[in-house]
Amino acid sequence: MRRLSLAAGLVPLVFALACSAAGATTLVRLHAQHIAFYYDRFLIEADGHVQVRTSDGFTVSGDAFSMDLKLNRFLIAGHVTLKTATDTVNGAAVSDFLDFNRLYFVPVTSEPDRWTFLNNDLAHPVKGRIMPGDVFFFPDVTGRPSLTASSATISERTYAHFYGAIGDLGGAPVPLGSYVVNFAPNQYFAQNSLSGANFDATVNVAGSNNALTAVHIRYDATNFGPYLAFEQHLVGQHEYAVFSINPLTKAQKFVNLDLYDLIGKRFQIQTFTQYYDDQHYLGPRSAAAQTTYVTVNYAFPHSYISTVGNFTNYNLLGNKVYATPGPSDTVPSYTQLAGSEAHPTQLQMTWTSFNNRIWKLPLYEQTFVGWGWNHDSVGSQYGHVKGDPAGLQEYGGYTYYTIYNHLLGYTASLPSLKFGDLNSPYDIYYFNASVTAQRQWYTVPHHVNTTTSVASLSRQFTRPFGTYVAYQIQNTNDLYENGGYPSYVPSSQTGVVCPDKPPYPPDCDYEYAAFRGASTLRTLNLEFNYLPNPDFNLSLLGRKHDDFPGPFPNGQVFLTPLKNPIGQPVNYNYLGQPPYDVTPDVRFRLLPHMLLDVQRTYYFNYNNQKWGSFIVQVLPQ
Amino acid sequence: MRRLIASLAAAALCVVLIAADAPVVATGQLLAYQDGYVFFTTGDAFHVAPGVVIHDAKTGGPTTIVPGPRVYARATFDATGTVTELDLSTRPLPPQGDLSDVAKFAVALSPPLPNPDLVLATPGPDEAPSVRQHYSGKPVLVVFTVQVPPNTPLTSNMYMTTDQSGWNPQSIVMDRIDALHFRIVKTLNSGTVFRYLYDRGSLQQEEVAENGIQRDPRQIVVADSDVRAVNDTVYAWLDLIAGGGQSIAPNGLPTPYNPAPFPNLPNGAPRPNSNPKPPLQ
Repeated sequence: MRRLSLAAGLVPLVFALACSAAGATTLVRLHAQHIAFYYDRFLIEADGHVQVRTSDGFTVSGDAFSMDLKLNRFLIAGHVTLKTATDTVNGAAVSDFLDFNRLYFVPVTSEPDRWTFLNNDLAHPVKGRIMPGDVFFFPDVTGRPSLTASSATISERTYAHFYGAIGDLGGAPVPLGSYVVNFAPNQYFAQNSLSGANFDATVNVAGSNNALTAVHIRYDATNFGPYLAFEQHLVGQHEYAVFSINPLTKAQKFVNLDLYDLIGKRFQIQTFTQYYDDQHYLGPRSAAAQTTYVTVNYAFPHSYISTVGNFTNYNLLGNKVYATPGPSDTVPSYTQLAGSEAHPTQLQMTWTSFNNRIWKLPLYEQTFVGWGWNHDSVGSQYGHVKGDPAGLQEYGGYTYYTIYNHLLGYTASLPSLKFGDLNSPYDIYYFNASVTAQRQWYTVPHHVNTTTSVASLSRQFTRPFGTYVAYQIQNTNDLYENGGYPSYVPSSQTGVVCPDKPPYPPDCDYEYAAFRGASTLRTLNLEFNYLPNPDFNLSLLGRKHDDFPGPFPNGQVFLTPLKNPIGQPVNYNYLGQPPYDVTPDVRFRLLPHMLLDVQRTYYFNYNNQKWGSFIVQVLPQ
Repeated sequence: MRRLIASLAAAALCVVLIAADAPVVATGQLLAYQDGYVFFTTGDAFHVAPGVVIHDAKTGGPTTIVPGPRVYARATFDATGTVTELDLSTRPLPPQGDLSDVAKFAVALSPPLPNPDLVLATPGPDEAPSVRQHYSGKPVLVVFTVQVPPNTPLTSNMYMTTDQSGWNPQSIVMDRIDALHFRIVKTLNSGTVFRYLYDRGSLQQEEVAENGIQRDPRQIVVADSDVRAVNDTVYAWLDLIAGGGQSIAPNGLPTPYNPAPFPNLPNGAPRPNSNPKPPLQ
């Protein structure tokens, strides 16, 4: 494992070498009395004593500056002085089309003229050449700028770094100091190793063509409240590295390193390493843990193989130091896991076919086959807290420290079968259905069958109003060749005495008396969606769960399902779903470039809970 | 009769002479005002009369607006193309006249030369003639509809991540329209080159290509139209391509290996290792 860690450490070095080979781009350094940036149009407008210095070998001064970052061209106008290595010429305006290597100039010598410099040859202007009609156009900017600054460095098609920046938040000035706007088409700049948060304001404090340094101001209602996070990106054409510390200002910190490289067109490798630390300032650590994933993909012409390896150390402190367990061990939190002595290693390799159409039918199928290996020489069965038996699993009087598995599965889908009045877009019904079935065999003599079936019917009634109804059944069956799930006498956590046969009082988890490792989770969804314009959306989702084993709210056995900060359930096959829930969701434009999404779930007094917590998302546009 | 013809000819001559001396008025945006010239954003330079009158375009009276870059102006040209009056405004003025009518008076030392950059390339023998695409910048309603793979959890949110929002994975939330489809309506100006990818709320849950490899961003160029429909298909998700493998989740250590497929069995519930029977001999 140390070799693996060493190898993981060498990857950034290789990456840095790859990045250094990236091509050069034009840098524009701008100083002016007033610089304004309009985020919605990616425009930089500057006025008063404009000074521009470019990496193409000239400087320009003038009265006004305008740059369209997307069109990649800039203009300086009014009492312009153009200085090259050999000459200084006065004029009225200069416009640089960076993409085309054309510098258009209106000099004023004895009289005005028109010069064009071709391909950065500043010594030989082409005089009199007709210029494109919009060379010297200023954009019509209205409204408040997103930020103002005193100087800026702009790298074409990549980033703009503002100094002395002051942001505008609904009219209120927000001092930002150094601020980088990254607009590179390379999406690797956005790769991050941070978890989702209810609110995230990213302040890019430094940047270059291959790097970006960011401080995140975040709010996470579920775990941490308000906090800061730090992130460093290194980006190449086919690779990236992201390092982060999150939260930076809390005792519980996650230090993450995400590496990716695409080698050729068919092979990619990605690693993700996380170090977790729980330490109040310089006090003693109460927990430290590490996990590393290595994911390797190879693409074939009509299929691909994915291999995921994972190694985790839940307790790096040694001496059997345990963190304080969380409130419930039914949903293991990282605090609980940090006390576990387990350090499992696993490898899972899966071959997956493309989604293939079956003959000429509107049916598609996808097949997957897998092999896996799990090992833990210490282990902590089920991975919970101190006291759990060692190994991966005990069965038949043996403790299994290594378990192999193999799996076979398929997906069949029927996307968008139309019926109704096909000539009227608002009278068409769409039927979708899919079945995913999988069987996974283990060297412990059992296998698990998993089947997920989904069907939906949808219709758009008017342009803004649509609805759908969907029904999902999730079957999970854990079948042992011998033994397996034993019989169970219902119990209650509220002091109610449970009889050994029906009828059972509601506080008893009586459905577990019949539970033998098979569950069936049924969910009926009905959603209405109203979208009158892109700035407003209202939706209402109602769900009915009919599950076996069912929930037992009176016994406090199940809490309401955990959701992450963006409202997604943490577990997809959660036992103990409340029978009914309704979630209204409204999204509206708060600022010209910010939408606000608010949702809240009503549980119909399940477990004495009516409303869940608000899920609020700020959506930068 | 001769008198009538002579009178008409005289009248016509008077009209021509009066018309020839009539000032030409045109509106435009100033590029610069210096060295005895006024420059418009067309790049054309015109002489300014020594006694040029500068007024406020709105009031017609004196103005504090200084002629210079970005300022809008209504210029009055005399018969020689010299600017005799400038009415200034910081806001765009209603179109009046046409600067191309006075372009012949623009001052330039060098005679105009053709620009090869502006000439359309001659198509090859098997090529269709190229058309220079022009975009007006008008707002266009773009309807994105995406079909997701069948293994997408029914509880998943759907997002678009775009270069316009710094590839923030939660910037554009989509609306579910059925089990396999999501939709969002965006207003984009024509001419916009829009790059985007679909994700489920984080970049660890981003779409990948059909062959499991991370894909390049999707791209559309918004053309001039009232509405545009974009239909996409997502073939696989980054966190779900490894079959039964656990997904990468920042800020959460993975759950240890659990041989039972039920992640949250309550305490006391039957587990397969709680009281197994011995295997058959």
